[in-house]
Amino acid sequence: MKLLKTAAIAALVAGMALPALAQQRTLTLNTDASDPAPKAAFDQLIKGFEAENPDVHVVVNIFDHEGYKTAIRNFLTADSPDLANWYAGNRMAPFVKSGQFMDVSDVWQENGLKDSLAPALSSMTIDGKQWGVPYTYYQWGIYYNKDVYKKVGAEVPKTWDEFISNCKKFKAAGIDCLTTGTKALWPAAGIFDYLDLRTNGYDFHMKLTNGEIPWTDDRVRKVFAEWAKVLPYTTPNVSAIDWQDAVSNIVQGKAANYVMGNFAVATFKDGGMTNDTLGFMDFPEITPGIPRAEEAPTDTIHIPAGAKNVADAKKFLAYVARADVQTKMNETLGQLPINVQSTVGDDPYLQAGFKILSTADGGIAQFFDRDAPAAMAKAGMEGFQEFMAYPDHLDAILERLEKMRKRVYKN
Amino acid sequence: MFPRPIQTMSPAARTAYKIALPVMLILWLLPLLGVAMTSLRPSSDLAQGNYFGMPSYLAFSNYLDVFRNSPFASYMLNSFRVTIPTMIGAVALSCLTGYALAVYKFKGNLLIFFIFVAGNFVPFQILMVPVRDLTVKMGLYDTITGLALFHIAFQTGFCTLFMRNFIKALPRELIEAARVEGVGEWQIFWHIVLPLVRPAIAALSVLIFTFIWNDYFWATVLTTGADTQPITAGLQSLNGQWVAAWQLVSAGSILAALPPVAMFFLMQKHFIAGLTLGAVK
Repeated sequence: MKLLKTAAIAALVAGMALPALAQQRTLTLNTDASDPAPKAAFDQLIKGFEAENPDVHVVVNIFDHEGYKTAIRNFLTADSPDLANWYAGNRMAPFVKSGQFMDVSDVWQENGLKDSLAPALSSMTIDGKQWGVPYTYYQWGIYYNKDVYKKVGAEVPKTWDEFISNCKKFKAAGIDCLTTGTKALWPAAGIFDYLDLRTNGYDFHMKLTNGEIPWTDDRVRKVFAEWAKVLPYTTPNVSAIDWQDAVSNIVQGKAANYVMGNFAVATFKDGGMTNDTLGFMDFPEITPGIPRAEEAPTDTIHIPAGAKNVADAKKFLAYVARADVQTKMNETLGQLPINVQSTVGDDPYLQAGFKILSTADGGIAQFFDRDAPAAMAKAGMEGFQEFMAYPDHLDAILERLEKMRKRVYKN
Repeated sequence: MFPRPIQTMSPAARTAYKIALPVMLILWLLPLLGVAMTSLRPSSDLAQGNYFGMPSYLAFSNYLDVFRNSPFASYMLNSFRVTIPTMIGAVALSCLTGYALAVYKFKGNLLIFFIFVAGNFVPFQILMVPVRDLTVKMGLYDTITGLALFHIAFQTGFCTLFMRNFIKALPRELIEAARVEGVGEWQIFWHIVLPLVRPAIAALSVLIFTFIWNDYFWATVLTTGADTQPITAGLQSLNGQWVAAWQLVSAGSILAALPPVAMFFLMQKHFIAGLTLGAVK
């Protein structure tokens, strides 16, 4: 009781002592930008916004990335901020369908965002409305050790067959052709997504993650058949290590290729690799002739339905969508801006990513755990992990996933 | 019954003891040593896969980065703001309940005592959802007050058991003599019982301090932001979205462990006393 009283008195005193604050409107933003780079990017973003809107004070609550996934369910119902970070695609669907995110189609309409943010329009739209504003994405692909390629005399492959024949050369030299670390499950999904996008194409992949295609379909089996080709050349026991532990395999030259997102570049370089030793290539072609699709997870900002300061929150979204703001923010983030009028820094990996994303005529997928609903994504990724360790369990895995599909997409 | 002094054992047993002790110590401390080593490793060592070898250089800057990369000082302060009120609140309440349950004979005395004790047997995980809902409804969700109040309520059960047994062991004649002299009940509590239970209060305070400081579960359930989260929950924020910065988490863990360790060394006497007090009646 005494504690409460003291707190109340302290609040009163603070309120009286700082009358200037009372005239300012506050805008609260919950974010999982806890890394140094994202944090710096958000600091910069907020400073810029406050400079243009001196009457608004932005209060930022930073969460750690893992904790945020559970915290958001909590704070959206209990103590709603005015703005919150989240992800595009199916990852935002539960919040949209339960009415916890606000429809911001008017912000898109008034600011012409359907043109400027065109690459992300489809992943931000549910039921014909837009539910947030995207501010960054990054490419996935294969990062490889150039020195190792030179050592065994392998050429950078254009097709999956070339990739597999390279693997034989690596094997002869005692080098793992492909490495990854699937302890956290998702790195395996990156491999599956690309194999599916290259084998069956974007439309099929979207139908699969939307639950419209049975997992026991022959076309799904074909994807796993392609995957099985590379398994003998993959680092053993990948399920025991985290993705960043597997980075050292590439750094030390024990492995040649790594299917990863662009965020891994910082860790490769931390381990001592440079632009001269670290290479990036687009995932090789499997089925000739299908339109090339890519994977680029998109980060977004939303207005929760319980927001108190909606007017300023919408102003903030319009600000985040601007080309100059996205250029500056993504320079700090080391990622790619969504706004088509933005420019990209001169980092070779970003340039390469920008090139493959802007010319991907097949479409842009988010990522398995963002395209598929959470329960399906978890079961799927567990299945991929199991498949990598025990390829002969494939039938059982696919049947399990099919059962899951029937349950998850029933409604 | 009691272990014999080592000096009286055979020479062979003494040698074995002298060898086994350091070996056990090292085994026991190995994980901690690993954390200490990692906290001084540059992140490049981890990216190169050098986890257990010699660090390429000693990166004391990790300890500074902990403060630069996260609101570490604020987490630390929050921990004190939760721990100290809880320590005072739980100990003060349990002195009163302990006194009442130990000195007065009334109907249901034993029942009330058992209810206090039974609270300790409830696995607190099953309280997660109701307690969260309760704090949300009371407007205490994500506040230091809410977290401290909950800890006080939950710790008072254990403290009451401890205090009641300690006060029960005091000679009843002291209290009866005072009553004969016409001293009021509050006066007896304040001037006779409290000074006598000082060692128990000290021991209990040290125990509660370490319990609450090390609490992770409720810190993650009842608080969400850097303004309210204590250090145990805040350590996670040193990890990045993709990269687990083990060198920073290790450095942060060592810093977070300092206050309870300091408390232990400063109050060592009371700590040991606290562990045995409740055991012998």
